[in-house]
Amino acid sequence: MILNPVDTILSLVLLSVLFSFGSSRLPGLIMVVGFQGIVVSIVPLFVGHDMNAGGMIFTLVTLLIRGIIIPMSIYTVIKKVAIRREVEPIIGYHASILCGLGLIVAATYVSRQLNISSISSYTLLFPTAIALLISGMFLLMARRNAIAMVLGYIMMENGIYLVGSTFSARARHIVEFGILLDVLAGVMIMAIILQNIKQTFDDVDTDLLRTLKE
Amino acid sequence: MVEIIFLTPFVTGIIAFFLPRAIGRQLLVGTGAIHLILSLLLWKNRPEAFFSSYFAVTPEGLLSLLVISLLFFLISIYTVGYLKESEIQAENIFTGFMLLFLSTMTMVTLSDHIMVFWIAIEATTIASAPLIYTHRSSASLEATWKYVLICSVGIAMALLGSVFITLSMDIGNVDVPLSFSALTTVAEALDPLWLKVGFVLILVGYGTKMGLAPMHTWLPDAHSEAPSPASALLSGVLLNCAYLGIFKTNKIMYAAGLGDFSGAILIIFGLMSIGAAATFILKQKEYKRMLAYSSIENMGIIAFGTGIGGIAAYGAMICMIHHSLIKSSLFLSSGNILLGYGDRMIQNTGDLVSRMPKTFVAFFSGFAGISGFPPFGIFIGELFIIVGAFRTGHYITAGIFIATLCVIFAGFANQVMKISFDDFHKGDSNTTIQIKEKASLVWPQYILLLTSLILCFFMPDTLYQTIIDAVTAIGGGLK
Repeated sequence: MILNPVDTILSLVLLSVLFSFGSSRLPGLIMVVGFQGIVVSIVPLFVGHDMNAGGMIFTLVTLLIRGIIIPMSIYTVIKKVAIRREVEPIIGYHASILCGLGLIVAATYVSRQLNISSISSYTLLFPTAIALLISGMFLLMARRNAIAMVLGYIMMENGIYLVGSTFSARARHIVEFGILLDVLAGVMIMAIILQNIKQTFDDVDTDLLRTLKE
Repeated sequence: MVEIIFLTPFVTGIIAFFLPRAIGRQLLVGTGAIHLILSLLLWKNRPEAFFSSYFAVTPEGLLSLLVISLLFFLISIYTVGYLKESEIQAENIFTGFMLLFLSTMTMVTLSDHIMVFWIAIEATTIASAPLIYTHRSSASLEATWKYVLICSVGIAMALLGSVFITLSMDIGNVDVPLSFSALTTVAEALDPLWLKVGFVLILVGYGTKMGLAPMHTWLPDAHSEAPSPASALLSGVLLNCAYLGIFKTNKIMYAAGLGDFSGAILIIFGLMSIGAAATFILKQKEYKRMLAYSSIENMGIIAFGTGIGGIAAYGAMICMIHHSLIKSSLFLSSGNILLGYGDRMIQNTGDLVSRMPKTFVAFFSGFAGISGFPPFGIFIGELFIIVGAFRTGHYITAGIFIATLCVIFAGFANQVMKISFDDFHKGDSNTTIQIKEKASLVWPQYILLLTSLILCFFMPDTLYQTIIDAVTAIGGGLK
């Protein structure tokens, strides 16, 4: 099997999923999420939909927002409020990595079962998208640190974007841009809430956010 | 030009951020009035949208839009009175986001493109999050955090579902615009497997926002922590907006001949929501949380009715309209109770009937309405749903449905009686003194309840026809 450029960079994304599960410190996790953001935004360049000027500009804007602005905004929050840099796992790092491996295998297996090879000729595209999506959810559930949870959400969004860019040449760029803007605004709101959580509770451990319940 | 109706509040919302409070309040009511007029014009003329590939006027969208407009106008009048009584810091931010919230919700009702619909729904989350955090307390911070995170993740699922629907188009070799109306016409050519997967994800995603159990956990927190006018909007119209997404996808499913599949899932989620509401309402200690659980119950009823189809789908639409009218009046009344007693716990209230008689009338009739008592519309809606369930042979589910409603009524009644008639103990003085009630803080509720009452006896033909048009697409109707 000859690997084309898309599958090569996607295999790096799969590795980065494992790295994110094992990383204990927030700056490293942010770097990983930023890297994934960059990769998922350049994939459409190689996938072979016709690229016109508008498409090119859109790809660059996506790259800017997913790869740079979103990770930087989260990084600024850490800097500004000097949050403890550990991600406070509920599931330990080694167990997490094992889960990650299982996840990638399962994602690959499931993608082979589904009849989508007629749509996409890239072996790793669908498995990577699914793996990103589920690993984002995993981070949401298995980390108590609120920032790690936001990063999990961003990872999920990256995964969905990868699924979307695979098939949908039909969605117009203006619509894609709207989605991107929504995600950006959502992350910004989360960043503001994070700062307030830190100021109010002096920590971002979500165990502190459990007073409202039955 | 349909788009002007959501652009107006968008522009005034941005302006409101920079205005002093007195003008901001007038702007709120003024925009509400303009919005109501525009909606009525839209209802009457039903024009084509300027960007017709993204927006369209649909019967179900029109119904929600009219409800939004009417509610927002009345709530904005209430809000002005409420803001004078309560202390809210940064009032310009509150009014600004109220208007932006109105704008995004209006956009939801007019969206026809699947992805634009998603964008609008996510925008409602972003515009309403600051409203929940208005009081700047640690509890409201927690509620906002849960709301934003749970809803964003949930809605992300709906985005994935929407992407899978485009995949079903690719596999089925269908080339039409990516809009709900176009897809409904070619539904049979779509790949059924991916359409099913897409529907389930969209149901889970928008269901999170709609408050269907087990994804409802954000709802009681957000509704109890938000200031009452915002709670009334959240419960009265935001939940309907999310339901629209499920309804429109269900339309595609029905047209594709997969109505049984989607109906069964809707019935299950509906019953789970009613069950969850019954469990939590019985032991509820806070009245605003109690109302929030009642919203979950009603969303469950609507999902259940939609799932059963036929006459029950018509009933579900009736329930949706009347739930909005009645529940928003209840939340506004709960705002008065909070202003009067200064406490959210049921045990620290009491004797509402003699301390706040006008609020009592609104609160108690609202309770009667939401529990499904005759002079109000929910009675008819629930009756249609139950009749529909029996007609289609869903005997067991209908039995569970009726039994749970009875449990909820018992729990709800118990708490309402405590608030209304129990002795009020706090210190030893002023236990029987009436609390002043301003007209602007009770009349909006009266009008809302009266509307529900009138619609129960006299339904204008155009409204009736629009509801029928909406539910025919999912196999509903009065047959």
